[in-house]
Amino acid sequence: MAFDLTPLDLFDPSSYPTRRNEEWKYSDLARVLRDVPSRTALTHLQAATGDFGGFYWHCAGDGQLGDLQAAVTKAIQVSGGRLYLDLSDVGEEGAVAGYQGEGRIALGADEHLILLEDYSGALDYAANTTLHFDLAEGASLTRVVILDEPETAVSVRRSTVKTAPGSVFKQYVFATGAKFQRFETHVEHAGHGAHVEMHGAYLLKDTAHFDYTTRVNHAEIDGTTEQLIKGLVKDRATAVFQGRIYVEKGADGTDARMRHQALMLNDGAHVRAKPELEIYADDVQCAHGNTIGALDEAALFFCQSRGMPEDTARALLMQAFVVPVAEQIEDEALREMVLNWIEDKAGGFYAL
Amino acid sequence: MLSIENLTVSVDTKTILKGLNLNVPAGEVHAIMGPNGAGKSTLGYTLAGRPNYEVAQGAVDFNGEDLLEMEVHERAAAGLYLSFQYPLEIPGVPALTFIRTALNAQRKLRGEDEMSAPEFLKTTRELAKTLKIDMDMLKRPLNVGFSGGEKKRMEVLQMALLKPKFLILDETDSGLDIDALKVVSDGVNALRAPDRAMLVITHYQRLLDHIKPDRIHILVDGKIVHSGGPELALELEAHGYDRYLGEAA
Repeated sequence: MAFDLTPLDLFDPSSYPTRRNEEWKYSDLARVLRDVPSRTALTHLQAATGDFGGFYWHCAGDGQLGDLQAAVTKAIQVSGGRLYLDLSDVGEEGAVAGYQGEGRIALGADEHLILLEDYSGALDYAANTTLHFDLAEGASLTRVVILDEPETAVSVRRSTVKTAPGSVFKQYVFATGAKFQRFETHVEHAGHGAHVEMHGAYLLKDTAHFDYTTRVNHAEIDGTTEQLIKGLVKDRATAVFQGRIYVEKGADGTDARMRHQALMLNDGAHVRAKPELEIYADDVQCAHGNTIGALDEAALFFCQSRGMPEDTARALLMQAFVVPVAEQIEDEALREMVLNWIEDKAGGFYAL
Repeated sequence: MLSIENLTVSVDTKTILKGLNLNVPAGEVHAIMGPNGAGKSTLGYTLAGRPNYEVAQGAVDFNGEDLLEMEVHERAAAGLYLSFQYPLEIPGVPALTFIRTALNAQRKLRGEDEMSAPEFLKTTRELAKTLKIDMDMLKRPLNVGFSGGEKKRMEVLQMALLKPKFLILDETDSGLDIDALKVVSDGVNALRAPDRAMLVITHYQRLLDHIKPDRIHILVDGKIVHSGGPELALELEAHGYDRYLGEAA
């Protein structure tokens, strides 16, 4: 089955999806992108997220993100398969700089890669980037994505993933939203016994918009998918989660689980969740759970009664809500880096 | 140390405490006993400052300060500690982080220096040992997946670390087997001191075999209807609350 990505060209406004397109119903790109951006190459900004000891590679150029395959080869040779992909953008003040690019990474049989993708940015820009991952038999890819973009940015980040027998794909996305921010992952579960995890955490405030859309197609037997997405939304921010798991006829032994949990911290915050399971095989286990709530007042009182001022108690409980997503990252240096990032982003987030 | 006068409290417009008077001097342990629905837990929550517990009338003096005017965390920093009947689970927050955050918040409010991480760990390790708490358990999220006994031991550990002046133990014996009850009671008894007082809220006499009170008060329908010495517990165990139920009306 071919990947079903909505055609999108930043420099052709007639291609902008609107809310009339069901896939873009909650994220209306045409509405935020009124002016066609001017074509620019990626201007480099040294990403500030931190170092986890991976081989550093800065993506450059227009149209293509550079020779990513060479970066992977180098990372496997010199840093134990750890690659830091810096995709940070600098826009232009006043004018909207448009950047569009596409890149490919293929992992050979039994190759292992731990990838940090850092999308920190500055000023006004519109970006549309697509990454394609192809996993051979027994290969494993862990992908940690930091979407730390300016509130003025319009950003569409898409990726496709193809698994092979016994391969493992794990994705962790951490986002603070932007004027418009959409992260889309399409997985073709094409390998017998392949394992996929797609997790995420978002911390949104002011008028930030973040859309996490995942599409998984189980085409082979004994494939597994696990998803845990947790988020905090305050002020007038909007979170969108669209998760679809499709199990083809004959993909028996599929085990797929999807959970999305959000906390709305005040009236005026929005969370739109659309979990979908479509199953055509007989012998499968599939589950999805979706909860949206407020901060637990009883837990808040418990913390306060032990001496924590209200803002400290709120801070502790909010951070605790999203931290379990980061705690699943197996690589210790990367996990610590992400936990620090969450703590940093969460600071200043709590005062209501 | 704690002096309550004519306390009237309602929750969701229902009046629960109806003019309660109580005085607990420093160094003493007082017990509150009473049937279900008498207002025992309401008393604990009101003193701790739980939202939605509306004080309609009355005054509470805590070491010369007006307790009811203080914020929840200020009461804790002033030395009040409520041990919950069912301690809450706090997913995502390791027990050590929770306790250290609470301790340093209290110290900061009192104008004291924060306790350093090594000093905190050393003190905690020693106390945990006496309470038979494994250090690995303290690295896990507070109370998540803990047994009833483990949760109560964690409460005692917090009391021992936070060193409150006034302890309210709300049904501390619920959910405990005999062995756990002994560990918890020993922990509480170790905290008895001339400059510290306790209020033990319980249904049953059982807990009072382990934590011996100086005075016992019987709470019925929002009021203290009778007070006496430790012997009152045995009498209640034999005859029940029936003879006091009429007095409240």
